[in-house]
Amino acid sequence: MSTVRDTALHSGDSTTSELIANVVLAVSFAGFVVSWGVLFQWIDEATTVAGATVLILLGVALLVAAVGLVVVGVASRLDRLDTTPSPTAGFTVGAVFGVLWSVLGALLATTLLGAGTVLWVPAAVAFGAAGSLAATLTREDIGSTIPVAVVLALLGGAIVLGQIDAAWVWAPAWSSASFPGSELIPAVVIAGSLLAAWSGAKAKAGFGAQGRQAGAFALIGTVVFGMLAVLGLLIGFIVVNGLETMLTGASLLGGQLTIPVVGVTIPWPAFPFATNVTGGLFVEVPGVLPATIGTLWLVFGAVVFAVPLGVGAAVFLTEYAEHGRFTQVVEVATNGLWSTPSIVFGLFGLAFLVPRISGGNSILVGQLVLGFMLLPLVLITSREAVLAVPDEYRDASAALGVTKWQTIRSVVVPAAMPGTITGVILGVGRIAGETAPLLLVFGGPPYPSNTPNVLGSFALTPNPPFVTNEALLSPASALPYQLYSTITAGVFPKEIFTNQQFGWGTALVLLLVVIGLYAVGVGSRLYFRRKLHHE
Amino acid sequence: MLQRLSLTGLSQRARDYRSRTEDGAIALHVLVAGWIAVGFALFFVGSAWTILPLVGFLTTTAYGWARYQAETAKGLTFLTTVATVGVLALIIAFLLLRTLPVFQQMGLDLFFRTESPPRLWGGDGGTVWSLTPMMVGTALTTVIATIVAAPLGVAGAIFVSELAPPRVRELVKPGIELMAGIPSITYGFIGLTIVNQYLYAEFNTPTIGNYFGAGLMVGIMALPTIVTVAEDALSTVPESMKSGSLAMGSTEWQTTKSVTIPAALSGISAAILLGVGRAMGETMAATVMLSHTKGFPSPIFDVFAGYGETLTTVIAFEGGNASGLHMSALFAGGVVLFVMVMFLSVSSQFVEWRMRQKLRGER
Repeated sequence: MSTVRDTALHSGDSTTSELIANVVLAVSFAGFVVSWGVLFQWIDEATTVAGATVLILLGVALLVAAVGLVVVGVASRLDRLDTTPSPTAGFTVGAVFGVLWSVLGALLATTLLGAGTVLWVPAAVAFGAAGSLAATLTREDIGSTIPVAVVLALLGGAIVLGQIDAAWVWAPAWSSASFPGSELIPAVVIAGSLLAAWSGAKAKAGFGAQGRQAGAFALIGTVVFGMLAVLGLLIGFIVVNGLETMLTGASLLGGQLTIPVVGVTIPWPAFPFATNVTGGLFVEVPGVLPATIGTLWLVFGAVVFAVPLGVGAAVFLTEYAEHGRFTQVVEVATNGLWSTPSIVFGLFGLAFLVPRISGGNSILVGQLVLGFMLLPLVLITSREAVLAVPDEYRDASAALGVTKWQTIRSVVVPAAMPGTITGVILGVGRIAGETAPLLLVFGGPPYPSNTPNVLGSFALTPNPPFVTNEALLSPASALPYQLYSTITAGVFPKEIFTNQQFGWGTALVLLLVVIGLYAVGVGSRLYFRRKLHHE
Repeated sequence: MLQRLSLTGLSQRARDYRSRTEDGAIALHVLVAGWIAVGFALFFVGSAWTILPLVGFLTTTAYGWARYQAETAKGLTFLTTVATVGVLALIIAFLLLRTLPVFQQMGLDLFFRTESPPRLWGGDGGTVWSLTPMMVGTALTTVIATIVAAPLGVAGAIFVSELAPPRVRELVKPGIELMAGIPSITYGFIGLTIVNQYLYAEFNTPTIGNYFGAGLMVGIMALPTIVTVAEDALSTVPESMKSGSLAMGSTEWQTTKSVTIPAALSGISAAILLGVGRAMGETMAATVMLSHTKGFPSPIFDVFAGYGETLTTVIAFEGGNASGLHMSALFAGGVVLFVMVMFLSVSSQFVEWRMRQKLRGER
């Protein structure tokens, strides 16, 4: 954003408030992390620490945070602390607390007076009004701590006193599911600790504009941290679960490689999961070779089909076409293609291509359909790349008396190549993982016992179309399709893996392929950018 | 009047083309156009003779490339542009064409029938096909996904574009892009083996798999789209506007909240619209996770109920072995999806265009 940073002009005695605020922050962070742990069942909810279960401790954490916030808020209000609060916490905070307190009121009414009473409506309204007024009518240091503290204290108290415990079940009438306390308590503590963190961060920075900034940063930072944690978890799950399957029978020197001409056999790394076929009688360790080869053919065909079309259209739109109705139509069509759901492409392939090309599922149709999906991506990225070529290049070329086409061919397209290549690689990473259209136009048997032999299947025929390719016109498997058919098929044909184990292994290989492509794409982007900046 | 204007414009353009292009090149263009037209017509009727115009096209182009390279190149790039539009036109045409039979059979009941499950999909001897339960399912999963993805996505975008120190940004941004690259079937597999089982074991859901779990997973998948597009929008806000605010003594957060976000608001909403479109069109995760039972939860927002089917999942799950009216009904589902997503995409483009106009005006 900007390199301007504030310097701490207000360096009065604020150690006490900072200390208490730090305690609140630490407690709420610990509560946040532990709650997720309980929710994900990494921490058993019956674990006892110092004679209290984890759930009780979470309640205690809420209470501690509540007390800390009350102390900071009241001390600041009594001007014992060096803070700079605004006259009010603001309308947004008031609205949020209104909603929060009305939920609390409704819950209290239904638990105290029994479900089914209509009293929860006035209770919710009254509590909501009280919450938002408490937040807006008081000075900021009170308005943004006390309402939070009350919520935390109520929740924490209910947990500590055993009003809500692990066995308690909330079964609302509108939901088919019921929510046991063992899951509800951590969820509530997560929400509570976010609130406490916001309020504590505000207090730490002494309220006012700085405090609001600190509060907002704390919330947003936690959210982004959570997002990255989700990403890490996803990848972690796949790697942890898939690694064993993928490495079954693998060894560094266990295999043998016969050098073709010489006829000598040398030790070679064995990697059966990657080099074996999936089905068949004599396979000891079923592998994903047919699926990998199928994915390679799909990607190859899609690139051959989509890249010339996309780059050509990009060149036409930027170099030849005048801005007008036509370019607008193309733009809308491109964005439309880009956002069209993949399954719709599959339907189109099924209706238009399948009956005209192969009469059934086939590699060729799969290639074309994925090519259609890749086309808008290639067009958009290469158009951006062509537009980014500086006009001086074109002018300089024209000034030398070079024709327009020569300029495009020898100046514009080469200069736009890096961007296009990066876009294509990233696009390929995307279609390599695409499954939905393949279900309709491509997929073959769930456990293929041979790899598609596309190169060796070209044959000449006396009838039109004179050249045929049996393999190209038959169904095959691809990595994402293999994963889908493994999940949905019943029992895995070999005893060595269960369906799930094989699925995790396939998912890991797929993830490696996609991440590999992605890394190459990002790497080439960085490489070309650096090269551009050097010149 | 307007038509005559465009006609004169066209004839003017035709005359320009005629005078600027050599006769041989014109003949070449005509010949190529002819090959393409014949080839497409033959392919359309499913003739094996499509190979002849294809070879004709290739040889003509090869000759043209040697003789009139510039004109051939221009013609070819024009052809690729037309092909791009043509693909979309063909998709629309074929979806509508295949939807026609079921629409004739069902009328508007196709979209609004609300009877009990057996008379919704394939009932009465395969004559009743109604998409209503799937539309409800799509709406439920999309709403859940949006509730998950929109606030988190916007927060992530603000973080990446405004708050993060450069080094953190270098780490977070590729991470989020990578999240977009993980195949949807992988998300589905994790959802099936972990999320579904978790919900079933802990929350006593009636079936393994429900709208809540699927919506949650789809929301996580839509997250990166929202972050990336919203971040683009935030970073198009001119630096001068932010610097002005900072120079007035406001904090970074005040600047973000009161200057950057309002200026980029339309871009952020475009991002959310795109994210909603992604969630709506997401197929594989939902197909794997849902139970494929069709019906209406009661009350309608009971996302844990034992029903689970959306427009995308029904196509993916049944498309492989459907025929006749059943197939036509699946195409109708495709049309509904296409129209909804297209609407979202076009409106997000419009919103973005408005934002660019506005920022340009204020600069």
